[in-house]
Amino acid sequence: MFVEYTWLVPLVPMLCFVIIGFFGKKMPHGGGPLAIFGAMFAFLISALISYEFFTSAAYSSPGYVTEQITWFSIGSFDINIGYYVDSLACLMMLFASFISTLIFIYSIGYMHNEGVKRRRYFAEVSLFLTGMLGLAVSSNFLEMFVFWEAMGLCSYLLIGFWSFTHPNGDDASDNAASAAKKAFLVTRLGDVCLMGGMFVLMYEFGSLDYTAVFDTAAMASVDPNMLMLGSLLIFGGVIGKSAQFPLLDWLPDAMAGPTTVSALIHAATMVKAGVYLVARCFPLFAQNPEVMLFVGVIGGITAFFAATMALNNMNIKKVLAYSTLSQLGYMFLALGAGGYMMALGLQSGDSALIAAGAVGYTAGCLHMANHAFFKALLFLGSGSVIHATGTEDMREMGGLHSKMKITSITMLIGSLSIAGFPLFSGFWSKEIVLEVAMHAGDYGAEGYLFLVLWILAIITAFMTAFYMFRMWFMTFKGKPGHGAEHCHGESPKSMTIPLIILSVFAAALGCIILFGFDDYVTIGIHAGQFQVGSGHGHGFMGWLEDIFLSAYTYLTVALVLIAIGVAYVMYSKMSINPGKFNKDGNSLLYKALSNRWWFPRLYDQIGWKMGYGVAKGVEFVDTQVIDGTVNALSSAVAGSGDSMSKVQTGNVRDYASVVVIGIVVLFAVMLLLFYFMGGA
Amino acid sequence: MDSSIVTSLYGEFAPLAPMIILMIAALLMPAVYYATKLRDAVTLVAVAAIALSMFFNILMMIDGYQGDYVGVFVYDAFAGVMILLFQIVALLTAMVSLSSSETTRAHYGAFNSLLLAATVGMMFVATANDLITIFLGVELVSISSYALVAMKRKDPRAAEAAVKYVIIGGLSTALTVYGLSMLYGVTGTTNIPEIAAALSTQDFSWAFGIALITMIAGYGFKIAAVPFHMWAPDVYEGAATPVSMFLGTGSKKVGFVALFKIFIVIFVAASTTAAFATEEVQYIFAIIAAITMTLGNVVAISQNNIKRMLAYSSIAQAGYILIVMAVMSEYALASGMFHMFTHVFMKGGAFLVVGALISVGIGEKISDYRGLAKRAPFIAFAMLLFLFALAGIPPLAGFTSKLFLFSSAIYDGGLGGGVMTQWIWLAFIAVLNSAISLFYYTRVVKAMLIEKGETTERIKVPKTFTAAISICVVFVILLGIYPQLIMDFCADAASALFGI
Repeated sequence: MFVEYTWLVPLVPMLCFVIIGFFGKKMPHGGGPLAIFGAMFAFLISALISYEFFTSAAYSSPGYVTEQITWFSIGSFDINIGYYVDSLACLMMLFASFISTLIFIYSIGYMHNEGVKRRRYFAEVSLFLTGMLGLAVSSNFLEMFVFWEAMGLCSYLLIGFWSFTHPNGDDASDNAASAAKKAFLVTRLGDVCLMGGMFVLMYEFGSLDYTAVFDTAAMASVDPNMLMLGSLLIFGGVIGKSAQFPLLDWLPDAMAGPTTVSALIHAATMVKAGVYLVARCFPLFAQNPEVMLFVGVIGGITAFFAATMALNNMNIKKVLAYSTLSQLGYMFLALGAGGYMMALGLQSGDSALIAAGAVGYTAGCLHMANHAFFKALLFLGSGSVIHATGTEDMREMGGLHSKMKITSITMLIGSLSIAGFPLFSGFWSKEIVLEVAMHAGDYGAEGYLFLVLWILAIITAFMTAFYMFRMWFMTFKGKPGHGAEHCHGESPKSMTIPLIILSVFAAALGCIILFGFDDYVTIGIHAGQFQVGSGHGHGFMGWLEDIFLSAYTYLTVALVLIAIGVAYVMYSKMSINPGKFNKDGNSLLYKALSNRWWFPRLYDQIGWKMGYGVAKGVEFVDTQVIDGTVNALSSAVAGSGDSMSKVQTGNVRDYASVVVIGIVVLFAVMLLLFYFMGGA
Repeated sequence: MDSSIVTSLYGEFAPLAPMIILMIAALLMPAVYYATKLRDAVTLVAVAAIALSMFFNILMMIDGYQGDYVGVFVYDAFAGVMILLFQIVALLTAMVSLSSSETTRAHYGAFNSLLLAATVGMMFVATANDLITIFLGVELVSISSYALVAMKRKDPRAAEAAVKYVIIGGLSTALTVYGLSMLYGVTGTTNIPEIAAALSTQDFSWAFGIALITMIAGYGFKIAAVPFHMWAPDVYEGAATPVSMFLGTGSKKVGFVALFKIFIVIFVAASTTAAFATEEVQYIFAIIAAITMTLGNVVAISQNNIKRMLAYSSIAQAGYILIVMAVMSEYALASGMFHMFTHVFMKGGAFLVVGALISVGIGEKISDYRGLAKRAPFIAFAMLLFLFALAGIPPLAGFTSKLFLFSSAIYDGGLGGGVMTQWIWLAFIAVLNSAISLFYYTRVVKAMLIEKGETTERIKVPKTFTAAISICVVFVILLGIYPQLIMDFCADAASALFGI
């Protein structure tokens, strides 16, 4: 009875957006409480829907509930609109709405001094949430694409619109605009790919409904090359949205918005949409091992490179931004490795391999959920610190532990979790990710690539632990910096309570899902069809064996502990000067990392300068060169060139000549066409 | 209420009913202005006449009215839809001309008279069934718009633009006549269905080839296709903004209607029977389409004057619509017509915003738009919608129409219809182009919403502008989420044209 009302999930935040947009100025806190209500309502109804769905017969077969009506039709082709509820959709709805609720509550405190600007803020975040929830429950690709774009638009508005004054961060607020534009254009580049992918699916399947596309018989009957093309194009959209290599540059720049927006983008929405899409298209991608290999390689490379960039950054939010990229890379690595095995299993009919592939799916989804909580926690925690100290530069912080106990401890929990410290949430998911990556290395001709990626991933785990604790020690331990002296104690309750709630989840959620509900976040083949969820978990003992009987687990744990130790010695005890390793910031490696391996400069060269240069060039050719040539030609032909009146700029004659020459060219083209195509 | 009202009122002239009303109003305009000296009264009469004409047309459309006047004018579903489009353009233009600071004061009656006459010309083209009537209609539009361009207050650029427009326009008229006479020479008739019948029994001849090329050039001028586009930025920049909007959204479509009427009808009829080579001509259109959209979009990036930018973007949009001429399928035609409708609201809306801001003293440079969101929130928001719709961002109108249009280049017979066409490369270029276009649209959006202006003083935009912009906003959203509203009519229109 609740599932039929799934459309309410995106609709209620949408209504909140409209109401706040129009009447927010007259509402208390700029409409904040209404936004919170919208998110909370979405969470409650999602919880009811999920409960009803999981206890219904539809959960075990066919594994989803869907309902749609025709949105518009073109000839014989119907574009539908409706909802599609399965385990994955439930997972997304639940954590997106829950975390958003907490972020919105936190915003009341964080945005306290922003005055009338809050109306726009709360309206836009409500729309953002609408986008994410709509995406999660969409029943077909086009509907999904609409919400996908709506979210891109919101991120543009939220990052750039804001002109938020950033205290001492290395981003001046002037940069907000160009960061927003970059974010928008880069993700658009991905969206063009996604659109192309949809065209391919439309053509091959004659429908964009999930039920039609993910049908095993339909996928088997489609030209495999086209399937591969479609999958790769869709993944191109994901690369843009989730800021994967090589389009990873925009996300760190997008830090220009308020910290709460960063929390929203990094934890609950936006970048998770990409992971969601890969998980959603898992059956499609798993038709080709090459596609999944590509997904895994992109993920592994991103995980590694993004982690290196976080190593020496001094801006607390940027460190977190790089860590998001890196963790997203882990998710794609897991999905890619799992999918790779599943694809090979499907080809050879090996059910054990298919089951091994499903572990990758579980790992990816579990890490996505875990990451949502600990990254929300870390961003909100950093917001609390920035709020108190008035700076984003970690060198100006330090020694804050005694002044901000709650923030400090909750952030410690978040850091432990993301670093993969044993028994915290992040530990479980990260261990399975690594295990899957290594496991995939045993199969297929290109499997050895996964071994390389596994090594990168292990090094990434070490780096993650190091930079997270570098951040924590620099902020909360060590000598108080300039900004820390401004700090007058803990942030208000509306900010600390969400932190406490999030820290509980960040610590324990991974464990609970893995040991209690692992069969809900897996994928398998039932009655010939792919099905998310429904009872194919490893079971309690299975996971324990997987994790604790493997020697590699202890290797990772040892690396993590060493990394934390090194960070402690360098940044808390200060007994080793970090400057020793990088010639006080003058070594080439240090510069490479600070300049993000020179990626931004590369993009600037390619994007803006070249694009603008080409445009200028074409204009020059259009107005000057062609005109000039024509001018010369026509004066040669017409003699004096006074045959047509010369009007001020004198180019009417040229325009006319272009028309005539155009006709001659057209005629020549026509002759050529007839000649080559054998017409006439 | 149905179309019997129209037939009982107009008798044998019923197919021309929407035009007759406007023609009478056009003749009355100078008299009204002379008698009252009130510009409001003139606009009121003009708007009322357009509204009445629109009302009759909608009645006839919904009722599925069909009829012809002595065989040279045929009112069918296609004519109905295109007439509606021209009426919308005329309505918006007439509304905002009243309060635009750029429109003429002394000759206001004549201005409106010419505006309505041009609209009548457009409607004649939509109903024309004969080469002569098409030509007459196009000329009525052209000659009226030369004068409209020249009628601008206190700006020498207008006179220059008008002269350029006249000269290039005259050249293309000459070319068109030449092409039409060649066609007549080949087939011995000017009636379009008869031409189709005549062509289906004969082979391709070079005289026919010359006719095709010169007609492409002549109508290519109207739609501003490369390389016949060079007048467009100068004229759009020089003319009063309501007139630029009229040219960019209305007059441009006349060229398309003529192309549809002449080429599609002839080709579809001819290709079903004889071994008649249509593919070469389709390729010519495809090449023109690809070059037009690419050049328009790329050059738009480097423009600093917003009217020039919109002019180049308009050229690019013409490139998109030319996909129809390359594909030449019924579905493509319906999609192209739908895109023509959404283009009226998107591009028309953007021009209206520019015109409204000029009227309150804001310049035409993109840098003049800095901080607009603070000064005129609604106008800035509307502009954001129009520009994003033009770039094809869902769920706005431009997204759905581009989805239809580009998919028509991929599949024959509609989505999921089965066969992939050879024009998939054209769809690919079009998708890439619409990604490029976002580049220059965001520049404007960035200036309006993000950059800080010199002042935050509120702007009060004239009421008629606000009303016209609101209409565009409503349709840009409505056609995005409920395209069926117009798309069904377009599908009927396409099948009517293909059915001849």
